[in-house]
Amino acid sequence: MRVSFGAAAVVGATLALLTPSAASGEQPKARAAGAADAAAPLAIPLPADAIKRLKSGDLAQIKSALDDVRVSGRAGSAAVPAIVDLLKQGLPLPLSQAAIETLGETSTEAGSEVLGWYAHQRDLGLRRAAVEALGKTRGAIAVRALRAALSDPDETVRGQSATALGEMKAKEAVGDLFVALDHKVEEAAASIGQLCEPTDCERLAGKLGNVPFDVMTGGLDQVLLRGVKEVDDDTKIKIVGRVRELGTSEANQFLKDVQIKWPAKSSPKVKQAIDQAVIATSGSPGSSGSAGSP
Amino acid sequence: MTGKGRIGGLSPWRAVAVVLACGALACGGGQTRLNLFSTDWTDDGGASIDRVWQRIRATTIPPAADVVVGVAENDHKMIGVSLATGARWSYEHALDARPVVTGSVVVASGGGEVFALDAASGRLVWRRPTGGLALLGAGDDGTVTVAAFRRAGDTGSVLLAVTHDGQMVRQIESEKLLGAPAVVAGLAFVPWAGQYVSVIDLANGDETARVTLRLATSRAWTEGGTLWFGGVGYVRFDDRIHDASRGRAATVSVPPRELPGMPKLIPAGTVPLAAEANAEDKTREYAKPSATDSGAALQDGHWYGTYFRIAMGFDSENSKLAWVHLHDTDFIGGAAAAGGLMLCDDRGRVTEFDAGTGAVLGELTLGEPLNGCVVNVDGQRASGTLSEVKPLAGQLAEAVRADDPQLVIVQKLLLRELATAADESATKALVDAASDPRTSPDLLVEVRTALANRRNGASFMEAALVRHYDFLKDVLRTPPVGPIAQALGAMKEKAAAPLLASHLLDPADTEDDVKRTAAALAVLAGPSEVSALREFFGMYRATAEDDDMAAAVVDIGQALATTGDKAARAQIEAAATDPTTVGYARERLAALLRAQPSPPAEAPKKAK
Repeated sequence: MRVSFGAAAVVGATLALLTPSAASGEQPKARAAGAADAAAPLAIPLPADAIKRLKSGDLAQIKSALDDVRVSGRAGSAAVPAIVDLLKQGLPLPLSQAAIETLGETSTEAGSEVLGWYAHQRDLGLRRAAVEALGKTRGAIAVRALRAALSDPDETVRGQSATALGEMKAKEAVGDLFVALDHKVEEAAASIGQLCEPTDCERLAGKLGNVPFDVMTGGLDQVLLRGVKEVDDDTKIKIVGRVRELGTSEANQFLKDVQIKWPAKSSPKVKQAIDQAVIATSGSPGSSGSAGSP
Repeated sequence: MTGKGRIGGLSPWRAVAVVLACGALACGGGQTRLNLFSTDWTDDGGASIDRVWQRIRATTIPPAADVVVGVAENDHKMIGVSLATGARWSYEHALDARPVVTGSVVVASGGGEVFALDAASGRLVWRRPTGGLALLGAGDDGTVTVAAFRRAGDTGSVLLAVTHDGQMVRQIESEKLLGAPAVVAGLAFVPWAGQYVSVIDLANGDETARVTLRLATSRAWTEGGTLWFGGVGYVRFDDRIHDASRGRAATVSVPPRELPGMPKLIPAGTVPLAAEANAEDKTREYAKPSATDSGAALQDGHWYGTYFRIAMGFDSENSKLAWVHLHDTDFIGGAAAAGGLMLCDDRGRVTEFDAGTGAVLGELTLGEPLNGCVVNVDGQRASGTLSEVKPLAGQLAEAVRADDPQLVIVQKLLLRELATAADESATKALVDAASDPRTSPDLLVEVRTALANRRNGASFMEAALVRHYDFLKDVLRTPPVGPIAQALGAMKEKAAAPLLASHLLDPADTEDDVKRTAAALAVLAGPSEVSALREFFGMYRATAEDDDMAAAVVDIGQALATTGDKAARAQIEAAATDPTTVGYARERLAALLRAQPSPPAEAPKKAK
């Protein structure tokens, strides 16, 4: 590859103008897999010359093409091989960041291999971006890279990896996620809640009292609201019982929240257990139903 | 007059070399009388000291007590333990100076008096008032004890001779700063002015002989049936003593050897030692002189050193380190014995070490923590069941890895020993020390340097490289990748290439580690590493943010160029002309390609 002009700094400035999310430091929010398909906006087709611009060697053209691919999302998947090639050959930092984020937006598994490279880049910004993107490109390579990233020296990378593994339903990572939770990777709780089989769900609930309650609720919330085909009623009732046993105002508040969110057509048996638990914990010190509460 | 004390009802101690009293011993005459401690003395060519030698050469000098005397309870208690029998005694008395073991007695001062205890039982033998002067040293021949004191304000010294039945037989005051004396057959041998030993006949108080020594001297004592003088080494009192002023006395000394804290072999005898041990007592050298047919030698061919809680043994021929022992607390006193070394620690234990290996032979306890400690060994031999002892490299590793800021200086010295040890286990020890979070940060740089310079033990280095930072497995410290890479590169250890390539891509390793790993891979990498090398080259050729990383890019370019991989070559060629490649790397890659032009393309094969 040959890039015809421009120092990295110039490109950086250009990038800052063209990509508001990157400039502000915000990461594009991950779409829930199912919801993304159902509510997908009209796809913006990839401009015909986008791939040509990606291969032009001109930094500005590459940047504009990446923007176009990003906007096209999955519709830009045809450009993935060219972006992968750019990242393998090497780009200045700002363009590397843009290329990684763009690969993520294409949600194309073909991007996972090179994102796996950048998931251990020394530059922390690139590493975080790559892990974020891997959560979208998915596939076995992504799962492997994300499981490895649970051991990253950076706390944020570890948390991102845990979250991504949950979102991409990587059930094979549940064991790693438990280890991560034991190592205070708090995001692992919610992911375990998304992925656990009944025995693992009970194991998660068993950590009540050892792991901060606000961390645990992220996981237990996920377990309770999963469909009966994934987690049976008995398991959910056991978990409700464990929370009820805590008898704290936080437990009461959590149960109330679940009570509110409980889908109308979901198991009445579990609903009854939740209702009873809310009543039983309403007298807990600090809860809204306690004697001393306003 | 400076001293205010009265001894035996006599007048206060006075100045200027005068004999104040002739006690029970007769004031004898005969021979040439020297002016006591005079400085206008002219060397008599050894005539007077030879007469003394002839006089006492047949005298049997009994062995001194083998005993440990601890100072405890804020310098108000002495605890004695016999090294021969383990019998224990204690004696409560204020102490203003370190007790002295000589002959069969323990002499101490404090509370305005000087006193002698029987070394075996702790029974009081005699006591005399001192007016508060602190004890410098003492000698005893089984009948009479001579004690030396320093007068306040360094205005001179006092010698006191007391028989075991408490009779004061001689009291001598001098403006000179006298050293610690010895007594043999009624003659007091008194070192002074750093070079003289005056012989005072206790029968008459006269200086009956004097010898000039060519080795700085401030102490005289008996040991192993021989009279010795010492300061920086040992001078034997024998038939060669008359030649001492011509530098031909029988002498032996510890060979020069760099040790931290400038430890002393023999503490100055002209200054009272505090009852309580200080840093000088913790950083000491120890040796035991022995009389030989040719003159004098160091017992067992070894000498020893301590530095707080580290003890070391050295070969007396070449001062080569023989062993190291890391103790759990500071050593505060000790003595060399036949067969080994006996060291006393501040917790009140005495540990016995084998001379050659440092193996622990035994331990005894004084029963309580100590402020100070005196170990006196004469006839007793260090013996016992040898404990299991590690090879020297293992001993060094243990000492180097101790997390104790106080030890850093000696650890640096020991590290140099470890670095030069030929044994492969030294490499392992260095790998372990460099990987161990307990290793002092002050030492780590030197550990890593030593490791980088090793040229054996590749298997230990490769075993370390298997380890990576792994948060979930609680591996929170990376191995010493850079030094290992440097050593493996120098050893041309191609088997290590895959392990090094894996570290090239590990963000937990430092930039310096990456740089040195890349340099090693430039030598070691083969076709199986091409994939990892290209990954690194692609990720960093345009993002390297410092010279270390840029240098690593160049080295990996070099490695790729030598693998003969065509795609890799094309990648380097593109990078060498691409302005987005960091400048440092781009220029060097171009130079590298010029130096290594691609092989000519093969001519197309003709179709048959």
